[in-house]
Amino acid sequence: MTQDNGSNLLKATNEDTSGPFFPIYFQDESLEDLTVLGPGIVGAPSGQHIILCGRVLDRHGNLANGVLMEFWQANAKGIYNSPANLGHPDLDSWFNGYGRLRSASGEYKFCTIMPGASDSRAPNITITLFSDGISRIVTQVFFEGHKANETDPVLKSLDTDDQARLIARHGGQTDGGAEIYLLDIVMAGVNETPFFDDFES
Amino acid sequence: MTQFGRQLGIGPTDNTSDQRTPRKPLRLIPSVARESFVPVVPARYVIRTHEWDMTRIAPGRPRGDGTPIEVTGTLRNENGTPIRDALIEIWNANHHGRYRHVEDASGLQLDENFFGMGRVVTDEDGNYRFWTISPGAYLARPDIGRWRPKHIHLSISGGSARLITQMYFPNEPNNASDPMAILMGDGFENNIGKTYETSDLDVDEGYRFDIVVGGRNATFFE
Ligand SMILES: [Fe+3]
Repeated sequence: MTQDNGSNLLKATNEDTSGPFFPIYFQDESLEDLTVLGPGIVGAPSGQHIILCGRVLDRHGNLANGVLMEFWQANAKGIYNSPANLGHPDLDSWFNGYGRLRSASGEYKFCTIMPGASDSRAPNITITLFSDGISRIVTQVFFEGHKANETDPVLKSLDTDDQARLIARHGGQTDGGAEIYLLDIVMAGVNETPFFDDFES
Repeated sequence: MTQFGRQLGIGPTDNTSDQRTPRKPLRLIPSVARESFVPVVPARYVIRTHEWDMTRIAPGRPRGDGTPIEVTGTLRNENGTPIRDALIEIWNANHHGRYRHVEDASGLQLDENFFGMGRVVTDEDGNYRFWTISPGAYLARPDIGRWRPKHIHLSISGGSARLITQMYFPNEPNNASDPMAILMGDGFENNIGKTYETSDLDVDEGYRFDIVVGGRNATFFE
């Protein structure tokens, strides 16, 4: 195997664009609505139902068709279902916190529960975007009206314009009682959403 | 204070890359927030047992047009530890360069014996294997005559490992002009399958494609 010079680490395989044809066939509805366990199953995760929705836009303000979106969040008590939290008393057995959808048009709608605040963090959902023309880009969305937004370390690392680009607007309630939050993600150009890098590189 | 990471490159001659690549440098994640950015994909996927053999639509059916190939490899993290039970979702164009996807408007020929989508799971030692038909190259930019070289798309999810990549083929004429290959630079070598003998197998060509999940895709839980 190839190795980095001066390091014992293996050289990572390059990411590549997903292209325009990520198979719709691989779609899994149970990952698009995390409030529902599955057909005919009694039980549900605890927490306030929310719908996070909006558009993914390109540099010209056009909808970015064919995007694959992945979501990652803590449960209502602010605990992530990660190996680090194995056995944590506040894990929710009915909530994994990972969602995925592919949008043909570039408009998206993700049904989930409001994540809890954890440690020093404001409630947030990590969004990963894959699409034609790019490799993975990652950002994090916050929710209008949360006091913890003012002290969140990710928001605080950004200037005020960029902060506003990551805070989903409250957009009322559905008949079923889910709170609606709206956020457009702008991949490039004017009003570009801030995206994040995992490591110094 | 905003700290900046990489500036993403735009794939030359790739319109979509130009439209969708962020122009501002990426922001570095404050270290206290790093953990929150690493998803853990639950292993709740459904896979049909015959999906590893994409050379035919279902067991007992005729094979698609073109050259049947095997692709095998090992999935590891940067430390060399195999990643077991990871889901690999695979899709590739048929022999004529056409995807069986409702949004593929190329007009190229569909193959009634080729589906072009499959899923496999890595074994205890991180190994995976699938058969497919060697994909055709396709004309991605008819206006400037730029082709996409033969490639197979692979999406890998396992625990906190997450990667979407493509396997390319050695000595293909269109490799050098591919926008993604240009962005990868010398690293492109890593994304080319390495041929091996398959005289003992019911396929014509074999490609070894070892995958290392790391860098930005790293999992620091495992
Ligand atoms: Fe492709």
